Amino acid sequence: MKEHIILYSVVKKYFIELKRYFLNTLMTMIGIFILFMLVFFGLRSFEAGTETLQGSIVGFAMWIFALMAYSEMSWGLLQEARDGTLEQLYLTPSTFRRISAYRVFGSFIFQFILFITFLGIMMAVTGEYLSLNPGVVILISLTLLSVYGLGYIMGGLSLVFKKVQAGNQILQFLFILLLVLPTITDHQIIYFVPISWGNLMINKMMIDGLSLLDFTLLEYSILLVNSFAYLIVGLFIFSLMEKSAKKRGLLGHY
Amino acid sequence: MKALDDSNKKAGKALIVRDLQKEYPQWRKEPTKAVDGISFSVDEGEIVGFLGPNGAGKTTTIKCICGLVEPTKGDIKIYGIDAVNDTRKAVSNTSAVLEGNRNIYWRLTTRENLEFFARLHGRSLKEAEPEIKALLKRFELQKKEDTPARKLSRGMQQKLALSCALIRGTDFLLLDEPTLGLDVKTSKEMRAFVKQLTSNGGKTILLSSHDMNVVEDVCERVIIMNEGKILANDSVNNLKDIFNVHLYDFILKGEPELSDLKNEYDITEIQYENGKTKLRVSLKKSDSFYDLVNHLQKKNIKLEEVKHLDKNMEEIFMDVIEREEVVK
Repeated sequence: MKEHIILYSVVKKYFIELKRYFLNTLMTMIGIFILFMLVFFGLRSFEAGTETLQGSIVGFAMWIFALMAYSEMSWGLLQEARDGTLEQLYLTPSTFRRISAYRVFGSFIFQFILFITFLGIMMAVTGEYLSLNPGVVILISLTLLSVYGLGYIMGGLSLVFKKVQAGNQILQFLFILLLVLPTITDHQIIYFVPISWGNLMINKMMIDGLSLLDFTLLEYSILLVNSFAYLIVGLFIFSLMEKSAKKRGLLGHY
Repeated sequence: MKALDDSNKKAGKALIVRDLQKEYPQWRKEPTKAVDGISFSVDEGEIVGFLGPNGAGKTTTIKCICGLVEPTKGDIKIYGIDAVNDTRKAVSNTSAVLEGNRNIYWRLTTRENLEFFARLHGRSLKEAEPEIKALLKRFELQKKEDTPARKLSRGMQQKLALSCALIRGTDFLLLDEPTLGLDVKTSKEMRAFVKQLTSNGGKTILLSSHDMNVVEDVCERVIIMNEGKILANDSVNNLKDIFNVHLYDFILKGEPELSDLKNEYDITEIQYENGKTKLRVSLKKSDSFYDLVNHLQKKNIKLEEVKHLDKNMEEIFMDVIEREEVVK
């Protein structure tokens, strides 16, 4: 199995498309940046403390990561079905689940570059400095696994029910709630819902300057169990939906 | 690329479909039967036409072979590998062009599409590059190498879709309407190329088309489906023999009395024009032709001209569909 070649082809295609539709990519970047500024200066106008401001930057970045990760999974799938290329992705020595994951990986790289760039600009403009420990990439990646799980669920639902955009809108607001949950409550619920616990750890790292070694084994265990549980459930539901779509002859039809 | 070892191939058979059945479940309704227990096989290096009217079950059968639709019952083996239970392994030696000029990324250029599909099948660019160049040359796409697929003509998009299926390097190809929407010249080129794929390229092809000329020109054998069942599975020549009822137009001088002929022969049409009679006769056996000529001579009816009217593939197809029973 030459899986790395398949991974390379999917990621390369993602970046070719970003380049080909440069204006669209640019507008996406500008849109995210404007939203970023609005959140930041909005909070500043309410005279929010440094910690709140820094927390909002990290939370906003996580929100964008989460949104793009699951929309890439569900919207990307619909796009393939519309274009008539979905069937071709099933005719490979790999699996469609892996190919979807590779595409999300491509978008993660793009968003991470974007995030670092914006963060640099924001820090320079506002003078609010955050700790940029490289270990944060590991925490972001682990936290996003739960989002990918949700993305697989939405992707699976798209295969069978086709139009699930309304569900995507609900998730947008749900993500905001999940990201701010640790600031509202210290209830144990944050261990069980997606993103919340991971976001709390990322905040501690970027705002309080903690390193990866400063977290306890229990804290890592909660993050790992939470993220992998959502990912596994997501993959399981995707498989069920895929099977149902194959049974009902729905693959490729939009 | 040989995606599978020869040891995985079953003696001479690229595809075996046995008792394939597909019922689509319906919400609170009886399931819709799309394929009703069909069996057929395709030999290695063979090119088989898959015909049938809309809703006959062709596309469902093709999608079952590709693993895109799960059969209700039955076995599918591609080079001996169980395509129902081990779909990924079985389709690793299968490529498909399912809906003409779709199947390619319109945002990518010609070359980017070829490179993407080669890599998607696990082939490195180094390995695929000579074939990419050969395909670009073969389909005269070199000048359009850096043109996005959406800017190509329909014919070129179709050629690119076929090239993308070929660059995967598989032995078994499923082509659904490969010449749909193509002009006469491009369609002819495409047909010639498809024929070459089996004769020189060692590919095995199952080709579905509504264009009977394509099937007649390209395929060695034809499978005709209707209402989920196979009505005919024979060589093009054999089907022609079965359904060619030896239709002739006899042009006779004058307007002779033909009542006795009407009793003995299947006369489908009589026309009187300019002092001549055109007699359209359908003969079950070719020997009957000479009997009829002798009969006319005995009756002193002067025969001016005889035209042999051969049935084309389209007429044979219609005969098979209208019979609604299996042709043996």
